[in-house]
Amino acid sequence: MKKILIIEDDTTINVELKEMLDNAGYEGVILKDFDNSLDEITNINPDLILLDINIPKINGQMLLKELRKSSNIPVIMVTSRKSEVDEVLSMSYGADDYVTKPYNPTLLLLKINAVLKRTNIPTNFINYHGVKVIQAKGIIKKDDLEIILTKNEMIILNCLLNNIGNIVTRDDLMTDLWNNKEYINDNALSVNISRLRSKLKEAGIDDAIETRKGQGYILK
Amino acid sequence: MKLRKYIKDKWVTIIISFFFLLITISFLIAFKVSLELIIALTITFILFIIIIFIYKFYRKKHYYDVFLNNLDRLDQKYLISELIKKPNFYEGEILYESIYEIDKSMTERVSEYKQSVKDFKEFIELWIHEVKIPLASLSLIVHNNKSAVNKKIKEQINHLEDYTEQILYYVRSENPEKDYLIKKCSLDEIVKNVALKNQDNFRYKHTDFIVSDLDKTILTDSKWLEFIINQIVSNSLKYQRENPYIKITALEKKDEIQLIIFDNGKGISSSDLPRVFEKSFTGENGRDTSKSTGMGLYICYNLCQKLGHTIKIESVKDKFTKVTISFAKDTLV
Repeated sequence: MKKILIIEDDTTINVELKEMLDNAGYEGVILKDFDNSLDEITNINPDLILLDINIPKINGQMLLKELRKSSNIPVIMVTSRKSEVDEVLSMSYGADDYVTKPYNPTLLLLKINAVLKRTNIPTNFINYHGVKVIQAKGIIKKDDLEIILTKNEMIILNCLLNNIGNIVTRDDLMTDLWNNKEYINDNALSVNISRLRSKLKEAGIDDAIETRKGQGYILK
Repeated sequence: MKLRKYIKDKWVTIIISFFFLLITISFLIAFKVSLELIIALTITFILFIIIIFIYKFYRKKHYYDVFLNNLDRLDQKYLISELIKKPNFYEGEILYESIYEIDKSMTERVSEYKQSVKDFKEFIELWIHEVKIPLASLSLIVHNNKSAVNKKIKEQINHLEDYTEQILYYVRSENPEKDYLIKKCSLDEIVKNVALKNQDNFRYKHTDFIVSDLDKTILTDSKWLEFIINQIVSNSLKYQRENPYIKITALEKKDEIQLIIFDNGKGISSSDLPRVFEKSFTGENGRDTSKSTGMGLYICYNLCQKLGHTIKIESVKDKFTKVTISFAKDTLV
């Protein structure tokens, strides 16, 4: 399980962020001791850090600057300051991404996922019940049978694969699609899902995507 | 300074002088002085008066003409104190000293107000950053506790966010300080952020969002532009007709890039159209919904001015609204 360290001084946000991360299949850890932030980070050894700019004792940007001297842990800056200067400054200190409060939680999860993926060694394909999902080529492959997926279908499949066994809401799928600049509407989403279903069926996986009424979809 | 007005102003002195002359003449007649002497004295006397009069007039005329001329050409009239020389006559000295004193006290007052506006602005910015923390907590809580009312709460949280943003950018646009940063930005990314922000609203209102040709790089402050586009898009989402859609596209012209935001909504009546960028102007549409503050487009206009973009609106009532923002092309590349 990926460990994500939350460096943030507001208790409510801490608790809620941790809950959100835990629900999404990560291990959320809250930094408590701001006196020796750097040592604490080394002790916890997280896979990713969510870092607020306004933290006690030391400014978040300074902490990031210090951290970058010794470590390459991916960092997403989370802040309520909304100016270009802050963003440019954070990125120049070596943040991997930058999110402003109040953030869309789904989007934050997507960003976390993207940053973790970027920093990991990329996998060429994902194996799903004997079907190879090759994202770079936009195809799924069963033995010698290659089925081409559209960009939208690939985004949906990918999102479902990342949450395999868990419910993915239509909102989540929508956010993921829009985040990839595919501004489709509700009807188009339904069409895409049914097309994806039939393509998976063609590859030999029946009823891969289950509909949970009023909740969303599960990839089994 | 006009001679006639000056003479009119000095009529008391002139009458007293002539009165004095008359008395003198009658004394001279009473003492039986010869007529030649009386005439000579009178002429000398009148001559003296005229010479003194003209000398006094021209000395003042020169000074005040320079003064008025400078004042006329000044854009900021209070700066006159920097431009006047110390006069060499008494009245002028009084004027000079007074202007200096008045200016000084005004400058003090102005800087007092400047400081208090600055403090206020800083407090507002701080307050907005603070208020974003509970807002962020709220959206996390809503995300973590799925329930039937979630959609409604989320919608209200979005409204709160939009309103706080509006204050923030209003404060920023009204103040002369430069707190923006112009750099190369991807139009695509900025539009995406706006789209994601309004995603729920698009779905809730069954509005289609169509984009094309946005893969362009422009010079702007991405946060500011995001706010501007967000204002326009939320207006489009507010004033809709049936089968609504919003279309965003970019056009590359010879020396500028145009961003066009088009919707098939209620449109703006031709009488309201010239005034939409005015402060607190709500117009027909605004009065109908009663939710309008009339500040959104005004702030957009101000921000565009500061960033050096131009914004214009075309619209036909009950047909469409088309907002065009033009960005100058980077001529160095």
